[in-house]
Amino acid sequence: MTGLLELREKIKLIYSKNEVFILPIAKFLLAFIVFNTINGQMGYMTRLDNIAIVLIVSLMCSFLPMGCMLLLSALFSLLHMYALSMEVALVGLCVYLLMFLLFFRFSPKDSLVVVLTPLLFLFKLPYVIPVAMGLIGTPVSAVSVGCGVIVYYLLMTVVNSASTIGTMGAEEAVAKIRLIIDGILDNRAMLVTVTAFAITVIVVYLIRRMAVDYSWTIAMVAGAMIDLVILLIGDLLYDTNISVLNAVLGSIVAVLVAKVIEFFRFCVDYSRTEKTQFEDDEYYYYVKAVPKMTVAAPTKTVKKINTQRRPAAPAGRSTGGTGTRSTTRSVVTEHTSVARGDDSYGRQKGQGAYSHRNEYANGGRSVTINSSMTEDSIEDYEDL
Amino acid sequence: MLNEKRIILMTKMASYEEKEGKKNLKIGNYFRSDYIAIQVLKSVLCATIAFAIVFALFILYDFETFMQDIYKMDLIGFARSVLIYYGVTVVVYGSLSYIICSYRYAKAKKSLKCYYHNLKKLNAMYNTRK
Repeated sequence: MTGLLELREKIKLIYSKNEVFILPIAKFLLAFIVFNTINGQMGYMTRLDNIAIVLIVSLMCSFLPMGCMLLLSALFSLLHMYALSMEVALVGLCVYLLMFLLFFRFSPKDSLVVVLTPLLFLFKLPYVIPVAMGLIGTPVSAVSVGCGVIVYYLLMTVVNSASTIGTMGAEEAVAKIRLIIDGILDNRAMLVTVTAFAITVIVVYLIRRMAVDYSWTIAMVAGAMIDLVILLIGDLLYDTNISVLNAVLGSIVAVLVAKVIEFFRFCVDYSRTEKTQFEDDEYYYYVKAVPKMTVAAPTKTVKKINTQRRPAAPAGRSTGGTGTRSTTRSVVTEHTSVARGDDSYGRQKGQGAYSHRNEYANGGRSVTINSSMTEDSIEDYEDL
Repeated sequence: MLNEKRIILMTKMASYEEKEGKKNLKIGNYFRSDYIAIQVLKSVLCATIAFAIVFALFILYDFETFMQDIYKMDLIGFARSVLIYYGVTVVVYGSLSYIICSYRYAKAKKSLKCYYHNLKKLNAMYNTRK
């Protein structure tokens, strides 16, 4: 366990040092996969089905905000739909506009979820999303998850109807519109999935916020089970042909992924829980404090000491050309510091001491400033 | 001489202003009634546009039948039912955005209360130094 905690601190350290590079590279890779997948699944516009265009657009997405990746992937899919049929593109545009106007106003920062959900559906891992968003998001994330599911089923409807639409002529415009709209509105599988995912997000969120021990574990297991139950009930009622084996395996994978998220986000040690009570003029406080699992991350500093040796023979005597000899010794010193997982404002309540560490490049010296926060100053940093 | 306490407080306040404080400060600049009114107005506009899109799709879906029946149907009754649906959509969506915006405003104000308290503390630190 200590090894895992140290590994976590090392990963956090690497990420915090190299965030400037890691984030754009991750966005580039995600955008590349998304656009390649759209081209692979649809690919009706051959001009877009070009690795150069995918690379250029992915590069753009790497330094633009996440909302731009969502916009560009929507545009990509609309262009493919336009190449298939203008009516299909019109319906697609209307669906995207409706989602943006009605739903996306309230959760714009979850645009990553709307991009990831259809992708995970194609990789047969959709059940990870509602459990993960319940753990790290808010109940409003249910809206983004629902939008992601609708986008997936819209694209699948277009892909499945592509051959039929291709045979229809220009005079059957209304029939094409009707085909796509029926494919969305009469899609019971979509309705059941949206309901199941939305309820899962809300249930996971509510349970993990409870002040019980192991609330995150209970939340992820309960969420996966509720998700499975609602999908099975929907399958019984509406005959949606959901693969039970896939759903069960997907839910198990979802719980495993959620466990990893919990390890990075909320690693606490319930065995050292402390409870206390106190009062002030206005309230009586019942406080339960659960300590986080932290480990001292060992860091090494290398001190190079240059020693200069005077020549052994006195001046005037020949030394055989040896001259002054200088040697370098290096001393490795190990410093330990309490690694902090979260440096955001106002979240350091109750932490007694922390250290800032500055390394200067002059001669390998390192300077460590230790300061301790007193009880008074802790009160200053109220939780935001 | 560097005042470590003050630097720590300023760093954390700057970090707050960069991240969640940005949104909260924008919200906090409005009075409650103004903020909610603006948001509800935007929601009503979005609901109107969305209703227009859905109505257009509905007409397109059964365009031929609609064109054939347009002279036979009760246009006033049809218009009345469309207006009722529009009214219900706007009222429901407006109420939903009222509830969400009220909650958001309360949360932002609570967060900003701590921020302003720390701002006063920082000001006091500067005054004691003088």
